[in-house]
Amino acid sequence: MLSRVAENLFWISRYVERAENLARVLNDAFHLELDAAGLHGDSEVKGPLDQVLNVLAGQDRFELTWDPRESEGLLTNLTFDSTRSHSLLSMISRARENARATQDTLSPESWSQLNQLYLALTRSKSRMQFEASPYRFYDRVKRSCILFHALVDSTMPRNEAFYFLEVGRFIERIDMISRVLNVWFSAVGEGDKSPDYSLRLVYWTGLLRSCSAYEAYLKRYHERMDAESIVQYLVFDLDFPRSMRFCVGRCLESLHGITGGGRGNLAATDAERRLGRLESELRYADLQEVFARGLPNFLSGVQDACARTVEEMQRAYFLN
Amino acid sequence: MTGIRSAAESSGLFSRYSPHGFDEMFTSTGEVRPAYAPLQQRLLNLNCNELERRHRIADLTMQRQGITFTVYGRNKGVERIMPFDPIPRIIPADEWDRIERGLKQRVRALNLFVHDVYHQRQILKDGIVPTELVLGASGYRRELHGIEVARDIYIHISGIDLIRDEQGNYLVLEDNCRTPSGVSYVLKNRQVMKEVFPLLFQQYDVQPIDDYASNLRAMLRYVAPGGIQDPTIVVLSPGVYNSAYYEHSFLARQMGIELVEGRDLVFENGQIAMRTTRGLQRIDVIYRRVDDDFLDPLAFRPDSQLGVAGLLGAYRAGQVTLVNGVGTGVCDDKGIYPFVPDIIRYYLGEDAILANVETFRPLIDSHRQHILANLDKLVVKAVDGSGGYGMLIGPASTAEQREEFRAKILANPRGYIAQPTITLSQHPTFIGEHLEGRHVDLRPFVLYGEEIKILPGGLTRVALPRGSLVVNSSQGGGSKDTWVLGGAHS
Repeated sequence: MLSRVAENLFWISRYVERAENLARVLNDAFHLELDAAGLHGDSEVKGPLDQVLNVLAGQDRFELTWDPRESEGLLTNLTFDSTRSHSLLSMISRARENARATQDTLSPESWSQLNQLYLALTRSKSRMQFEASPYRFYDRVKRSCILFHALVDSTMPRNEAFYFLEVGRFIERIDMISRVLNVWFSAVGEGDKSPDYSLRLVYWTGLLRSCSAYEAYLKRYHERMDAESIVQYLVFDLDFPRSMRFCVGRCLESLHGITGGGRGNLAATDAERRLGRLESELRYADLQEVFARGLPNFLSGVQDACARTVEEMQRAYFLN
Repeated sequence: MTGIRSAAESSGLFSRYSPHGFDEMFTSTGEVRPAYAPLQQRLLNLNCNELERRHRIADLTMQRQGITFTVYGRNKGVERIMPFDPIPRIIPADEWDRIERGLKQRVRALNLFVHDVYHQRQILKDGIVPTELVLGASGYRRELHGIEVARDIYIHISGIDLIRDEQGNYLVLEDNCRTPSGVSYVLKNRQVMKEVFPLLFQQYDVQPIDDYASNLRAMLRYVAPGGIQDPTIVVLSPGVYNSAYYEHSFLARQMGIELVEGRDLVFENGQIAMRTTRGLQRIDVIYRRVDDDFLDPLAFRPDSQLGVAGLLGAYRAGQVTLVNGVGTGVCDDKGIYPFVPDIIRYYLGEDAILANVETFRPLIDSHRQHILANLDKLVVKAVDGSGGYGMLIGPASTAEQREEFRAKILANPRGYIAQPTITLSQHPTFIGEHLEGRHVDLRPFVLYGEEIKILPGGLTRVALPRGSLVVNSSQGGGSKDTWVLGGAHS
């Protein structure tokens, strides 16, 4: 497979995954703004939409050129402003532009799905739909993104193209989960000195909802809503598809798929080695220790490992 | 059979239809042509809203699949779909048979001509075509003189533009022997037509066109550099911003081969290779959709980033086959065009089956006098112009423009040709809620490999503005599905 095409594929699914996560986070923040308005009172905690900016802030250079307090403007900007690289529309546009240049590698179904999502977002009707109900709007975007991955999954052969798409998708998901966790936890605190319980509850419920994890979490932990259990679930759970450990596993499988190495040959490339190390860290980590060292430390370690994995991939596959 | 008058009475669809010039559906007396009779019956039974609705679905389908071309204009290119007209053009089997024979004859002769020009130049020595016209043609590449190409084929893929005169005779308007585009629309139009208007196909035996990609691939394999059993074949595109990018990616996908850009290629050890995730991989055949001038910055335009340095060297050494060959522009030059019937006679000893449009050359005294006396009736074309540049359309010109061209022709008689203004044939076309006559041309696609194969039909382009003779997609042209009927219905 052409190096240029491989890199394109990696970024297509990264952008789609990022757009989906942004839709999730924005939707969650929008609800929190509604729910938590009264609970915030005079507490020091910034509003949920401001927190979204913090999630994005780490990603690239991010400039705040609008007034964050105008929440409606902020929500609209993060969704439609095509001049800002972080908006939902920009991400889908870039994914679509890359896909257009790689149409011959994607299956026609997956290309058409991405193209339709782009066309739907750029139609003038799309603003009206957004204003009528942000919730339904974000839900549609989320579903469209998921449908793209589902079509990739069910229409593409398990070859390099597929695996590059998979790696991009799961690397992005790991990265996004760690950012969201980090920001949300530093907002409402880990321990007892944080704002009152009901505010924390609203945030944590929102967080779980935005990860489609709320009900699955309740089945496992019932009404216990504390930092440890949530981290346990979203970071270390083996079975939940939006837990980091799950994603790292999928990512690693796909990297093996690219190198063609089977289970016996687990570390053929530096990228695999990097990610494999992260996987065993997640596998054997001790929750108490993570909290003792500080969650932000741990999460930035995860982000670092992801970034290095991508660097190694660049070296091995994209820059030939 | 329903004549045009009774059709107009029984259905609103035909109420505004008026024949003008040669009409593809109706005879000069207003009777429907036999091949169109079943289609007309179907149309009379459809109501306008239904047609309208399906027409919209067809457009939407194209848009969703991203079947677009890029129009250049203010700042960024705009992606557009080529407007699709749902009324198919129908070509009876006997008519097609003649076209097919004519095209095979023409392309075979043109290919022999190109080979001759780059080798012995016998046709020039025999004085059939003026040497200075050939060597002075903008498409002539002296770098290729004496170079052997695989199987002696240069014009692997061509699109020959045909129009019909007032009597319905098919005439060749232009030979496109470099990188003709449009075939993806032919294939997609058929697919959309089958999805959206399946009913129209009933009672017709339409020749299938699905095998184009496999024929194309077989041809590409056939012309691989000598002795290679399983060649690596790629499509070379200028990239996603090229107006025909969709077609490049479509063809690569249909053939299951890589779509590459210049930046994916490297020249190493005398060969061309592409950068892959597993290192460099050698390439044997390049179906290039990049013009000669941009192929190799070392040989041609040094500022080109669309090609790869060293490509021409590898080509000359026979390490890689380029499709089409380099330098084929010498045969589709407008200055050479008037000589094509002579070229056919010279190499094949046959008369041309498909006639040229009558063409006057200012170099010949009597022609020049005729041209200068009739500038208001003729179309004058610069031989190295294309896309409507450097053109005078007599009937639509001002006295000032005619004076300008008079001076140009006198100063450089070799640089121009003139042709009578030909009214293209018209075809019923869905406009708003009615059918109206619109002008059409036809671009059949010819593949030259182990044998010469012609895609049944081709791209019918239709000029959508009323009275317009310009069918170019960049200027509001649309397209139609084109049906060549099987023998049983002729």
